Amino acid sequence: MPRLPPEPRVTAASLAADADRVVTVPIGPQHPALKEPESFMVDLRGEKIDAVRMRFGYNHRGIEKGCEQRSYTQDLYLVERVCGICSYSHSTAFVQAVEEIAGLELPPRARYIRTLIAELERIHSHLLWLGVAGHEIGFDTLLMYTWRDREQVMILLARLTGNRVNYGMNTLGGVRRDIAAEMMPLILKVVDSLEERTKTYIELALTEQTLIQRLSHVGKLSKEDALRLGTVGPTARASGVDRDARRDDPYAAYAELSFNVVIDDHCDVYGRTIVRLGELMETYSIIRQILKQMPDGPIATKAPRRIPEGEAVSRYEAPRGEDVHYVRGNGSEKPERVKVRAPTLANFSSVSKMLEDGYLADLPIVIAAIDPCFSCTDRMVSLRDGSSTRRTMTWDEVSRMGIQWHKERGLDLSTLRIPGSAGE
Amino acid sequence: MSVFHRIVRWAQRKSPWILHFNTGACNACDIEIIAALTPRFDLERLGVQLKGTPRHCDIMACSGPVTKQVRDRLVRIYQQVPEPKIVVAVGTCATSGGVFTGLYNVMGGIDQAIKVDAYIPGCPASPQAIIDGFAKLIKSLETTGKPPAPETLAAEMPPGAAAEMPPGAAAAEEQK
Amino acid sequence: MSDEVKAGSAEGIPAVAAGNAATEGGIRAAAEGPVRAVAAELQAKFSFPEGALKVQRATRLWVEVDRSSFGQVFDHLVKGMGFSILCTITGLDLGTDLGFIYHLARDGGIMANVKTRVPKGESIKSVTPYFPGADIYESELQDLLGARVEGKPVSPRYPLPEDWPQGDHPLLKDWKPKDAAAAAAPASAPAAAPAEKGAVPNA
Repeated sequence: MPRLPPEPRVTAASLAADADRVVTVPIGPQHPALKEPESFMVDLRGEKIDAVRMRFGYNHRGIEKGCEQRSYTQDLYLVERVCGICSYSHSTAFVQAVEEIAGLELPPRARYIRTLIAELERIHSHLLWLGVAGHEIGFDTLLMYTWRDREQVMILLARLTGNRVNYGMNTLGGVRRDIAAEMMPLILKVVDSLEERTKTYIELALTEQTLIQRLSHVGKLSKEDALRLGTVGPTARASGVDRDARRDDPYAAYAELSFNVVIDDHCDVYGRTIVRLGELMETYSIIRQILKQMPDGPIATKAPRRIPEGEAVSRYEAPRGEDVHYVRGNGSEKPERVKVRAPTLANFSSVSKMLEDGYLADLPIVIAAIDPCFSCTDRMVSLRDGSSTRRTMTWDEVSRMGIQWHKERGLDLSTLRIPGSAGE
Repeated sequence: MSVFHRIVRWAQRKSPWILHFNTGACNACDIEIIAALTPRFDLERLGVQLKGTPRHCDIMACSGPVTKQVRDRLVRIYQQVPEPKIVVAVGTCATSGGVFTGLYNVMGGIDQAIKVDAYIPGCPASPQAIIDGFAKLIKSLETTGKPPAPETLAAEMPPGAAAEMPPGAAAAEEQK
Repeated sequence: MSDEVKAGSAEGIPAVAAGNAATEGGIRAAAEGPVRAVAAELQAKFSFPEGALKVQRATRLWVEVDRSSFGQVFDHLVKGMGFSILCTITGLDLGTDLGFIYHLARDGGIMANVKTRVPKGESIKSVTPYFPGADIYESELQDLLGARVEGKPVSPRYPLPEDWPQGDHPLLKDWKPKDAAAAAAPASAPAAAPAEKGAVPNA
């Protein structure tokens, strides 16, 4: 089938040069009557970003309202699908709030199983993030390796729960499936294997100068700003903020487990990388403790169908940061109100701060570094430099432009190799 | 020559390029689409590549139940894809709205906004299901120039599977 | 780009020991010490009526405040008692009133959930002077419940689409979807978009 001529290459320099002229945007047909829904409105000063305004809501489906119209059990399945990466986080944060209203005391084994699934989710999410970050800086080899490693966890989760994502593992009062004794050595095997792989990525992050340079001093967020803007998760911890809901407000079995909260003071994308790698190592340790300590016993306690009047707030340390769920019961089978504050929303205001005075070429990696819970692949970026004309680029175009920009400055990550992978 | 080899040859000749578009999904299907391209599954063996621009793609792979915010953009992108174009709805939400059916900001599936040629269900659609779906699609495009009809899919199912098929398909099968 | 870069330490990733202690049932009372101290201080300062102030557990405190004293209570919690985290603001449809819960927290894990209410149509004050990040939470209250927030920075609406009709707030208990769907369809929808089952949106 016919192929159109290749797109003219849009670079930051060409955009800066074009600033004073009316430019025909080389991307797609223009429909003046239909406004492009821009996610990121960037004001440029040459190649640097003056300010960014963001508009979101693409993912807004109306879930909170939907929760009021469905039973608590149905809501378990709905809330699980708020986000397909931290689905267990949302499911557990929700069910914990409901259990608190109902005054349910979970059997210890249920709490341990929840913790196990939660930490397995953290592994898949952080490995996913490493791959996505790699992709945004032109290091596709990292994407392929980390997502191949991640498959070990996905397969394991499918074996334990029946699905790769959306595990359907929680029920009111506990969990729906037990972890069979013969699964324990398999879980340990995955943890051992991934710990070795993670050490490889840590070595890469600590020694590969191209990578360190690419990620350092990018997306700067001081500790003061992180605190002032309510930043959460690895993004906050990379700015020295010592907060982690697992330690500060323990839930599931965390009060009975021993782990470190990983803090860094780089205050940039490099720091956010280091923190996530450190968290992976902590997670492997947590899972080993769980396997050693998991008590026997029932996996759920009986729960009423009608949840009494009352309210509760649940805080959960999802891979991206603190996830907060508020639930109010009214004595019926359906909740009166469910409020979800996902971690990405808490980091919303810190993103603009991180991008200010940085290079446009770094916009994709800075945003990727907060590990956002929205799909970036089709977001539009609109740019304005000096004149009042706005030009629009797709996310993909900004991403490729950024990779090219850094290549021209000697930072080419496309040829980087993963340590110890020579024989593969 | 085996079916697989015919598909690979066709793919190498045609090399279908996929545009991946998220219409407000939870991201699970989007990740499984990308996972399908990573080494364990390696969708690229079929010559399938993800391309960023609508004007250079052959197949639109859409996830999500179509939020109202995104509907216009979905339609606009669809119009930019050159003919002959194929639209694949990936995942249960994209197929029917899934668990989000009836929510106030959701239209209820890709075919509520544009014409869909193939559906790959699953919540999320697993990489295996995605590959299977694309393999069937590509094979059908090679042999008939069109996406597969439900009756032809029934012909490939093992015996006994007919009991689980949607109504109409089994009757169509009987009439052959 | 030529700035000196600092790699992680040679020993590995820097970390802070969490100092987790296994809690047993008998320690529950001691664990509630801090939150009861917070409650006591609040009660002493503001003399809440009976039942307005509740300790739910060691890390959960709830206080119901009427709108006239909300500002002072909020200020004291944030500025005077270290509640420097605003997790989010929950809005509720309470019939004639809108309810608001400010989910505050501080280091150490205690949450102070401050509840207040105002009649529908009346406004509340923005808390962005304390928490710049609250802007997005207040946008949600406006969009979904029709709350009026005085002093809130101007920002793009969130989370509803641009063309969602003004005055239409889906989280209100008596909200009905039908008119919103028709009104949200764009006037300049391209005629050439072929939809297999029709482009009429589901409710």
